[in-house]
Amino acid sequence: MSIEEQYRKRAMELLSGGAVKMVIGYGRGSNAERRRPVFISSPEEVNRLVLDEACIANLSGYLVNEGLLSDEKRVAVFLRPEGIRAINILAAESQLDAEQIVIFGFDVSGNEVKALKGIHVEEFEDVIGAIKEHAPEMGNEELLEKIEQMNPQERFAFWKEEFAKCIKCYACRQACPMCYCRRCIVDSNQPQWVNTSSHSLGNFEWNIVRAFHLSGRCVECGNCDRACPVNIPLRLINHRMAQEVLKSFDHFAGMSKTQEPVLASFKKDDSETFIL
Amino acid sequence: MAKIGVFICHCGENVGAKVDCTKLAAALGDHPGVAVSVEYKYFCSDPGQESVKKAIRDNNLTGVVVAACSPRMHEATFRKACAEAGLNPYLCEIANIREQCSWVHTDKDLATEKAMDITRSMVEKVKRNNKLQPIEVPVTRRALVIGGGIAGIQAALDIANAGQDVVLVEREPSLGGHMAQLSETFPTLDCSQCIMTPRMVEAAQHPKIRLLTYSEIESVDGYIGNFTVRVRMKSRYVDIDKCTGCGDCITKCPAKKISSEFDCSLGKRTAIYTPFAQSVPNIPVIDKANCIYFKNGKCKICAKTCQCDAINFDMPDTFVDLEVGAIVVATGFQVQNNSLYGEYGYGKYPDVINGLQFERLASASGPTAGKIMRPSDGAEPQTVVFIQCAGSRDPSKGVRYCSKICCMYTAKHAMLYAHKVHDGKTHIFYMDIRAAGKGYDEFSRRAIEEDEAAYIRGRVSKVWQENGKLMVRGVDTLLGKPVEIAADMVVLATAIVAQPDAKEFAKTIGIGYDEYGFYNEAHLKLRPVESSTAGVFLAGACQSPKDIPDSVAQASATASKVLALFSKDKLEREPVVATNNEVTCAGCWGCVLACPYNAIEKKDIVDRSGRVIKRVASINPGLCQGCGTCVTFCRSNSIDLAGFTEKQIFAEVMGL
Ligand SMILES: Cc1cc2nc3c(=O)[nH]c(=O)nc-3n(C[C@H](O)[C@H](O)[C@H](O)COP(=O)(O)OP(=O)(O)OC[C@H]3O[C@@H](n4cnc5c(N)ncnc54)[C@H](O)[C@@H]3O)c2cc1C
Ligand code: SF4
Ligand code: SF4
Ligand code: SF4
Ligand code: SF4
Repeated sequence: MSIEEQYRKRAMELLSGGAVKMVIGYGRGSNAERRRPVFISSPEEVNRLVLDEACIANLSGYLVNEGLLSDEKRVAVFLRPEGIRAINILAAESQLDAEQIVIFGFDVSGNEVKALKGIHVEEFEDVIGAIKEHAPEMGNEELLEKIEQMNPQERFAFWKEEFAKCIKCYACRQACPMCYCRRCIVDSNQPQWVNTSSHSLGNFEWNIVRAFHLSGRCVECGNCDRACPVNIPLRLINHRMAQEVLKSFDHFAGMSKTQEPVLASFKKDDSETFIL
Repeated sequence: MAKIGVFICHCGENVGAKVDCTKLAAALGDHPGVAVSVEYKYFCSDPGQESVKKAIRDNNLTGVVVAACSPRMHEATFRKACAEAGLNPYLCEIANIREQCSWVHTDKDLATEKAMDITRSMVEKVKRNNKLQPIEVPVTRRALVIGGGIAGIQAALDIANAGQDVVLVEREPSLGGHMAQLSETFPTLDCSQCIMTPRMVEAAQHPKIRLLTYSEIESVDGYIGNFTVRVRMKSRYVDIDKCTGCGDCITKCPAKKISSEFDCSLGKRTAIYTPFAQSVPNIPVIDKANCIYFKNGKCKICAKTCQCDAINFDMPDTFVDLEVGAIVVATGFQVQNNSLYGEYGYGKYPDVINGLQFERLASASGPTAGKIMRPSDGAEPQTVVFIQCAGSRDPSKGVRYCSKICCMYTAKHAMLYAHKVHDGKTHIFYMDIRAAGKGYDEFSRRAIEEDEAAYIRGRVSKVWQENGKLMVRGVDTLLGKPVEIAADMVVLATAIVAQPDAKEFAKTIGIGYDEYGFYNEAHLKLRPVESSTAGVFLAGACQSPKDIPDSVAQASATASKVLALFSKDKLEREPVVATNNEVTCAGCWGCVLACPYNAIEKKDIVDRSGRVIKRVASINPGLCQGCGTCVTFCRSNSIDLAGFTEKQIFAEVMGL
């Protein structure tokens, strides 16, 4: 039985037994290469579920939709390792109760889709630990390498040019599972810290603020990258922040559902090289 | 309509020399909302303050900006003056044009322009300031003193003698600290034990002092006037109430070969022990790591010997929770590990010892009963070489500072040696003789003139063993010649360094420290005994290397600070507290964790039927200290700090 068939069968069982009220997975998209999220709540619909190498979006963000989990019923969701890390962070930040989440874990390498064992987030500790040790390729290592080689002025110029493209559509924020605030700082206008018009200062403010808000939280799923209509390589900034946090505080986002947020917690042996 | 008064202070030449105050006053006079803009030589002076008050009254000012020195210096002064003129003090702000402008710039035109920016930005803030009322908090009149060396004992006694309660916490089994280990003390050569032990006894028996020995601080929460402290009382395995201190158990304990910490490993002790004969309290502890029963499950000879049934091998650690209003930190120092000096052979040759070990050799209660005998064979050394600054003033060993006391104790050691070994010979290698203090220079002269200590100005490069002698090679820089001395014993004047856990411990109590781990005072000159955390004071060698007179003086100073704090029923606190917007709060509870004062709680918002509709953070204004940590953390920008609101700060930034 293919993994797709196995997972359809499992979805059918869970839904008909009432063990979960909904399965969030992938369905066919507008063309053969695209997949779109589907929200299945009856066993008859499970055949709409698709699982193949084109299933790349991180679906965890749908779980924090207002009201979805407040009836304390369970919801199943298809997740790649990054998505599973996201569940840990959302649980650690009190946005959901991990007990309510049933995971259909999978990973894609090349054209091959493989199932990940386990249904509760705790069961994936080894998978997450392995990513901490060996980060998977992001597909734009070359650009990353190029940016690393730049001096600060060059790097600033690079990002200035990239950010100049930003049209402030906030698609990155909407796509990111970590951007769950009901009122984002850009929407706060008393005072208006982040300028809403798309000129270079406002664009810088927005993108840098977002990078800060994601440091120690980004799971590098790439939702933001893919959502951005003007193709700013957003994940690279967050990747860099993740590396800094790992290096300074040995914090790898989404290790466990009880992991303390790195910027809110304090350990006596925290590095303090940045304190003058 | 805003009517702001701007008062530009020359601070004598401090501001005036680099900022054109007349131009500044004129520029601010033109700024929208400014009703008065004047300059003066010293606004902090009496006539200066009076002129501010008069301007407030005459013009019905709605806000005041004083462009002057740092707010740390005179914010309180000017806010008080405003209050006296009937203006809410929180409508007064300081624009710092001294530390942040005139002191750091050389070009007068540019500095003047910058001063304009700084002052305008403050005017914009003040326009949005709100009236605030101070918060009153009660004071718990009980002091915690941490560390039972001479500094801690002195502070505890002074506070207790003024009638206030003190809890004195010492982590070793006995009070005393380093002073208990010393033989005789400079500059008077009185016997350390003889002046120390009565103090220890007095502290232990004082009705106002609660003594917790063999105890450590687990956690400190709260703030000035209202700290809560958890103390772990480590298990002694001996019941302090039953034990009479007869010492029978110590005599019978078969584990006798344990190296004594108190004697700096020159002597031995048993597994059940008191550090020294005059220990206070005179109640032994069992050293679990070395006890035969704890290692093999068999022995308990001490328990069988004890006639009071005081020994209990199952005794657990216990915890004491304390409410205190002030904390005195007197955790002392340690001597540097001399094995850093491989070239001097410490640790390799038994007869190379450090100063503290020499104290134990010279002490009447020490392992040799005060006879100077070298550790290797017990022979009386005929030639002793002392090496000063063995660690101090040596960046390559990580200590750039002068340890302050080694010149003096080395002179003392030379004298003690001369008094005990009459035909012995001493050589002292030194960099400088630093003997600043009452009777100190006379003391070191006495070592040279009466006790014939031969001082050699220069460093030692190497110590090695040859034909049963310790060969010391150095240089005499005054003669410009290398010297080589065959010695029987070498004594290193080791650097005074911070306790090994000093930095860690500072984080537990929430105070600052320097790069070496010595605790930082709030102001080196004007507030030398206060830490930067209100209500926490510093005494003794934990702040910097000190001798006994300095440690005691500083301890008494902390006591006077504590007593001043306790002289009031209530403290007035700044009304700078945080509030959060429950509508926009995302309930991530990062702020709950980030708040260093545990002032933020988790809160459920429920509907009429009791169903939770939202989870948010809720800030307790009674506990909030206004540090602003949560404000910076909150991603949804839901927290605001009174006196530093987002709108005020934004206006300040945009005013630049
Ligand atoms: C070799 C030598 C010779 C000296 N000779 C002289 C002399 O002749 N004359 C003179 O004036 N000075 C002399 N001194 C200096 C003198 O020893 C110090 O000035 C004095 O001991 C400082 O006292 P203190 O209480 O600050 O520190 P300490 O004596 O170090 O006492 C600190 C106490 O705090 C305790 N403690 C530490 N951390 C904790 C904790 N976390 N919790 C609870 N308790 C804790 C320690 O166990 C200790 O009991 C000499 C020093 C040395 C090294
Ligand atoms: S910032 Fe981008 S890559 Fe990181 S978690 Fe959010 S969507 Fe994923
Ligand atoms: S998705 Fe791209 S264009 Fe849109 S706000 Fe984000 S960075 Fe700007
Ligand atoms: S940090 Fe901000 S959003 Fe998070 S709980 Fe605190 S107030 Fe709410
Ligand atoms: S300002 Fe915020 S973090 Fe600081 S004490 Fe108050 S509530 Fe806690």
